[in-house]
Amino acid sequence: MIQLFFPLSLRELWEIRSRFPQSRLFAGGTDLFVQRRYQTQDESPLIGLERIQELRTTAWEGDTFTVGAATPIRQLLEDDSVQTLLPVLAQGLACMGGPALRNMATIGGNLCTASPAGDSLPPLYVLGADVVLHSEFGRRSLPIKEFILGPGSTSLRCGEILHSIKISRPPPGSVQWYQKVGQRKANAIAIVSLAVLGRSAPDGGFQSIRLAWGSVGPTVITSREAEACLESSPLTMEKVNSAAQTARQAVAPIDDIRASAEYRRMLSGNLVYRLLR
Amino acid sequence: MRLELGARIPRADGLSKVTGTEPYAVDLYPPNPLWAGAKRAGIPHGLIRGIDNARARSLPGVMRILTSADVPGSNRHGIIHQDMPVLADGKVRHGGDAVALVIAESRAALRQALEAIIVQIDPLPIVAGIDDALDPQSPKVHEERPEGNILVHARIERGKVDQAFESCAAEVSEVFVTPVQAHLFLETENGLAFLAEDGTLEIIASTQAPFRDRFEISRALSIPFEKIRVKAPYLGGGFGGKDGATVQCLLALAALAVPLRWIKMVWEREESMLAGYKRHATRLHYRAGALEDGTLYALDCRLFYDTGAYAHLGGEVLELGMEHAAGPYRIPHARVEGWCLYTNNPIAGAMRAFGVCQVAFAIEQVIDLLAEKLHIDPLDFRLRNALRSGDENLSSLPAADSTGMQACLRQIADHPLWTGRENWKSSASAHTRRGVGIASVFNAMGYGKNVRDSAIARIELMTSGEFMVTSAVADMGQGNASTYAQIAGSILHQNEGQVHVTQPDTAHAYPSGSSSAGRTTYTFGNALFQAAHELRNRILNRGGMMLFTEDDRHLELRPGCIRHAPSGRELPLSRLASLMRPEERVSLAHFVAPVVEPKPGTYEGLRIGFPHLLYAYGAHLAAIEVDLLSGAISVLHYVAVTDGGTVLNPTLFEQQIEGGIAQGMGFALLEDLLIRQGIILNPDLSTYLIPTSLDLPTMETSWVNGSDNSGPLGMKGVGEVAMNGPLPAIANAFAHATGRRIFQGPLHAERVFWTLAGSQCDQEEKR
Ligand SMILES: Cc1cc2nc3c(=O)[nH]c(=O)nc-3n(C[C@H](O)[C@H](O)[C@H](O)COP(=O)(O)OP(=O)(O)OC[C@H]3O[C@@H](n4cnc5c(N)ncnc54)[C@H](O)[C@@H]3O)c2cc1C
Repeated sequence: MIQLFFPLSLRELWEIRSRFPQSRLFAGGTDLFVQRRYQTQDESPLIGLERIQELRTTAWEGDTFTVGAATPIRQLLEDDSVQTLLPVLAQGLACMGGPALRNMATIGGNLCTASPAGDSLPPLYVLGADVVLHSEFGRRSLPIKEFILGPGSTSLRCGEILHSIKISRPPPGSVQWYQKVGQRKANAIAIVSLAVLGRSAPDGGFQSIRLAWGSVGPTVITSREAEACLESSPLTMEKVNSAAQTARQAVAPIDDIRASAEYRRMLSGNLVYRLLR
Repeated sequence: MRLELGARIPRADGLSKVTGTEPYAVDLYPPNPLWAGAKRAGIPHGLIRGIDNARARSLPGVMRILTSADVPGSNRHGIIHQDMPVLADGKVRHGGDAVALVIAESRAALRQALEAIIVQIDPLPIVAGIDDALDPQSPKVHEERPEGNILVHARIERGKVDQAFESCAAEVSEVFVTPVQAHLFLETENGLAFLAEDGTLEIIASTQAPFRDRFEISRALSIPFEKIRVKAPYLGGGFGGKDGATVQCLLALAALAVPLRWIKMVWEREESMLAGYKRHATRLHYRAGALEDGTLYALDCRLFYDTGAYAHLGGEVLELGMEHAAGPYRIPHARVEGWCLYTNNPIAGAMRAFGVCQVAFAIEQVIDLLAEKLHIDPLDFRLRNALRSGDENLSSLPAADSTGMQACLRQIADHPLWTGRENWKSSASAHTRRGVGIASVFNAMGYGKNVRDSAIARIELMTSGEFMVTSAVADMGQGNASTYAQIAGSILHQNEGQVHVTQPDTAHAYPSGSSSAGRTTYTFGNALFQAAHELRNRILNRGGMMLFTEDDRHLELRPGCIRHAPSGRELPLSRLASLMRPEERVSLAHFVAPVVEPKPGTYEGLRIGFPHLLYAYGAHLAAIEVDLLSGAISVLHYVAVTDGGTVLNPTLFEQQIEGGIAQGMGFALLEDLLIRQGIILNPDLSTYLIPTSLDLPTMETSWVNGSDNSGPLGMKGVGEVAMNGPLPAIANAFAHATGRRIFQGPLHAERVFWTLAGSQCDQEEKR
């Protein structure tokens, strides 16, 4: 028998954790329970986060949006402010799994899984999000880049949880989009993804731009050089060519069952051409 | 709603299925069942050195562990060739071979025991695919076979092929490759078994062939077949993968070992991938030629089908592929040679469009290529050569009266997507290309020559005044049970809800063929037609006696009653039924599907199921968009025009066509069971992908008027024909969009991407 707890507050959570140090956390369970299917011998107790209200609340304070880690994807997608002010995030979340999955899965779970294919990661990278970590003994905050260390690896310490994510609103008029290439149109893991956040120049080019690629390295890949190629106006085919070329060099993809490394490398560059739409 | 033929009667099983109350076999839990499960070999080819059960046996909750030594009887099952062991003895031939069978008190105990069994296998060199199987130096998968790894080698020939090519103005020669496809039914292979004190073995299984299952079990385990009772509740999908024993023999063996207890077996999804039957991978060598005037004139092809470790219906799948290799066209000079080959791959067997969707991919691209060389419009070229009734087909037999290929093509010719195809092409936005492609398809119906294709229908007027049809042919989701009610109800003039259908139970239904080959409605339906007529006449006669009418002239059946129209007098059927004797209230009739004799001298090596009399036809159109940046193909519109004879229920007809298109699109764009050295690389649903609703286009399905005259219903089966269209139609649309062709399926984004990038396919091979 596996013991299952649903604490109602962080205080209760810390209590249970100290009684059962071996226990595992889950939010939507859409990653954890898939893993546990193959670990039939694992009998460690489970703690569900879904009833801790502060982990499921979202709020704007000035230009900063705070998202509780256990907020389900669907809740975020139904939030008009996310759709209008953070479209790159909304687009990333909208292509996660299918409707049933988005009802269960949480944004914090996506970050803690730290898969290079996680669809919330590239948007949060270009948005420059911070994560807030809590433990019984305190809290700290980190830029997302420092939180995600590698596939399945984060800088969460023993006893710490991901509490919330803080996102600053990009300046009005920013170009934001997220593009995912998967093997099919829903319920598919990204072969390559690209998040874009740019500040347009009057002549159609970019004053500044942030690019982040998913699924082409151990974590999200960013490339200052590729961004720099695009940061002088106007936007020309040559600039996009060189950004694409630079991107192909910056990524570090692998071969797997879904795609070859070479295809991923080519795609990483090709997706940049969508800027020319 | 009155049950009338041609009406859109909602499926009787619709509500119970969408609300989840209809119990499939997997939903049945008798009190306190035991759990059975198979230890799989995991190694594709090798000699069993030992099976160490000691630890597994000592685990709590483990009741029995059986190996081949515990199997009474031949330990071999199979539909036509009995070459498949229930439990592997001596040798394993693919990774999914069952080596031991565990019976445990719980599913958890079963899992632990299966993990604890250690099987020692000395690996043998592997027959990894078609080339290995053809190499006489390769090891034999079945060492006792003098033919080596060739299960079937056969030939169809007409005219003078070699000379004919000399007259051709255009010639095409290409090699096509198609992948292994999995059925991926929602309900995996599963069932229950119980051995009673009197030796009766009861099996409830997710099966397409309850009657035939008894023979397979009986032979393999030496149980008299009359002692075996098989029940087939509604299936959560079958598509051919449950035609032939899956869990049946293993469950029967478990029940022999532990009598008087219900035993349940459910294959996990990965186990279904590993041990379940699959679609044959093929390699198809085509050479075809046409005359200057656009007459298709010569065809020469060699077809190789990889049947995996055991025959299942592999030989028959090859034969059907061969019979369809020339497409629905007249070709005066043709030679089709085929090989069905044993390898150490997963077992390939029956699957919707049984060997046909592979050759459709080849012939339909060949047709487009020939048309292009002759500068003829591809649709005109098809119209010029498509079979009409009376034309000789590849089997050198006249095409039946109901041959609607031309009519299907003409509907496509007038469709705005076809007439406007150049507009579609030029409407592509940045980074994309658009194109329209077509395919002519056909699919034989019924078992064909040398296999009795029969059914016995039973219908009863119950004392309640309602009717009960005893179905003998499983309903795997195609809706035949609903159609049976509609057929009977139309003859007996009853309303929806007044005709019930029981699902097959060999103890109550009468021996009938399987749910397969587009025959489930045709064969049983035609038997039921007669049975219902006989019952109707009996009811009218008895009713006339009660109403004191001189004869039956003015009597009519109405919902729930008999009515004498002139006087307005009515007699409730419940009242009438109470006056009839039980045997009077029951009507039985049988039907045997017609066959044709093959023409001597035109074929060799085709033994079972060749040729066929009847085919369903279709013309398909796909309008696609290719994303040049990623290579992804999106199908945006799909049109299918079908000739299935008389349409009994437009809704169910459309569901069959749309379902076939959806499964065909999976085959066209996504599905590819990757097997390297006998090991499946994508055995689960996160790596083996099928289309989701978002991947499917808007589908427009229609039919051509016409009726088949071989049976009173005028219908032909349409369960399979639509599966054949998407891959060739999309491949042809891709060529229209980009000027490039792909001869290997599926057309997934990466393959398309490298095709467009030049030929860097060696990159792809690294996967
Ligand atoms: C069918 C299917 C389709 C999917 N499709 C996609 C997709 O398209 N894109 C995509 O990115 N992902 C996809 N996923 C993966 C998964 O759904 C996401 O990663 C999801 O965001 C995980 O969230 P969760 O709440 O369910 O995580 P859980 O499974 O609950 O948790 C995941 C991990 O994070 C830990 N964790 C969770 N919350 C916290 C917290 N607050 N503090 C500390 N640790 C925590 C858990 O202990 C666990 O180790 C898919 C999964 C499935 C089953």
